[in-house]
Amino acid sequence: MKKLSVKELYELKKKDLSLSLITHPNTMQGDITTSFLNRPGLALTGYFERFDYNRIQILGETEISFLQSLDEETLYNNIKETLVYDIPAIIITKGLSVPKQIEFLANEMKIPIFTSRLSTDKLFNSLRIFLQTVFAETKTIHGTLIDVFGVGILLTGKSGIGKSECALELVERGQRLITDDVVKITSKDDILVGSSTNNYGHFMEVRGIGLIDVAKMFGIQAVRIKKRIDVQIELMPWKDNMDYERIGLSNNFVDVLGNKIPIIYLPISPGKNIAVIIEVVAMNHISKLFGYDAAREYTTKLQEELKRKAMIREKKNKEKKQ
Amino acid sequence: MIRKTIKIVNKLGMHARPATMIVKAATKYRSDFKIVKSDMEINGRSIMGVMTLAAEFGSELELVADGVDEEFLIKEITKMFEDKFGED
Repeated sequence: MKKLSVKELYELKKKDLSLSLITHPNTMQGDITTSFLNRPGLALTGYFERFDYNRIQILGETEISFLQSLDEETLYNNIKETLVYDIPAIIITKGLSVPKQIEFLANEMKIPIFTSRLSTDKLFNSLRIFLQTVFAETKTIHGTLIDVFGVGILLTGKSGIGKSECALELVERGQRLITDDVVKITSKDDILVGSSTNNYGHFMEVRGIGLIDVAKMFGIQAVRIKKRIDVQIELMPWKDNMDYERIGLSNNFVDVLGNKIPIIYLPISPGKNIAVIIEVVAMNHISKLFGYDAAREYTTKLQEELKRKAMIREKKNKEKKQ
Repeated sequence: MIRKTIKIVNKLGMHARPATMIVKAATKYRSDFKIVKSDMEINGRSIMGVMTLAAEFGSELELVADGVDEEFLIKEITKMFEDKFGED
C-alpha cells in the first residue's frame, strides 16, 4: 500500500497550504495512508464509533469554537481520549489559535498539529486533490499514446507491429504525441490519464533509423505532456479466420486500473492506411459523444425499410386474395 | 513462466548500448519477455522501454519470460548482465 510520511507532506505542501507546525518537530513521525480527510466533530464530544482516526483530521471554526465552549476538565478529557488514537496529523484552519491543553497533550502523545491560514473549504479541496494524486493507482504499459482530434488514443500491440510508425504518420497529419513505447497510466476519479515515465522529452525509436526527437522535428504543436485516455486500439496482424467487428453495434471494453475503456481490435495488412483509420476511430468516438451513432443510424433505417416493405407485401397479398 | 531477479553490476548502468544488446537478444526468442523495476513493467523487446527503466549501477531488475524458449532467453540475458555487457 502506498504511504506518505507526515514529514514529506509538510515539506511538499508547506507553502501551498501555508502550514506551520505548532507542536514539537519530533511529533511528525506517522504516515498518511489514505487520501480521505476527516472532520472529527463528534469524536470531540466523546463519540468514537466509526471514528476515522487514520485520516488527517481537519479542525475548522466550528470545532475550535466548540472546544472553547467546554470547561477545562471536559476539554482535557475529550482531547485526551481523541488523541489516544493513532492520528497521522491534525490541521487547524483559518490560522485559529489552539487551546493550550491541546498543544500540550499533542506533544505528549506525539501527534503533530499544523495550522493553516487557508479556509477549511480551500484547505480541504487542495489537500484532497494533492493526496489523490499521491495515492492514485498507476501502472506502466507497452504502447503509444496520441491525441487525435482531442481524443486520447492508446495504441497497443506486439513489438514491431508499427505503433511508432503509425504515431509518426499521425503526427505528420497534425495530431499530437504524448509518449511512445512506454505509457504511465494514472487512475484518478474514474479517469485514466497517460503520460511519459520520464521528462526527457518526446523521443521515439523508429526501426532502421534509431532515436528521433519528435518535438524538435515536428515542432511544439506535435506534442503534449499528458492526456486522458479515451479509446484503446490494439493493432494486430490480419488473420483470415478472425472475427473482426463489421457493423459496430457491439462495443468491446477493456479494464484498465478498474476503469472500463472501449477497445478496438484493428487488423493490419499491407496497403492499409492505419493513420487514417485511427483518425476515423477518433471522429467516430466524438460523434458518438454528440449522440450520433452511424451503425445504429444505418441499422434503424434498414429496419424501417424492412418493415415498410413487409407491410406493402401484406397489402398486396390481401388484394390478391380478394 | 520464469521470474529472475538480477542486479546491475556494470558501472555505467543500463545505458543505450546494453539496452540494445538486451533487446536484440530478446528478439531472437519467441517467449514473451518483460523487465520489472519497482512499480514499472516494460516490454523487453522495446528499446525505449528498456531505457525508460533508467536502471543504475547496483539496482535490481526482475526478468520475466513466458513461452516455449523461456529458459534459453533468461539464460542468455542473465549471462549478458553477469558479463557486464562486455564493459569494465
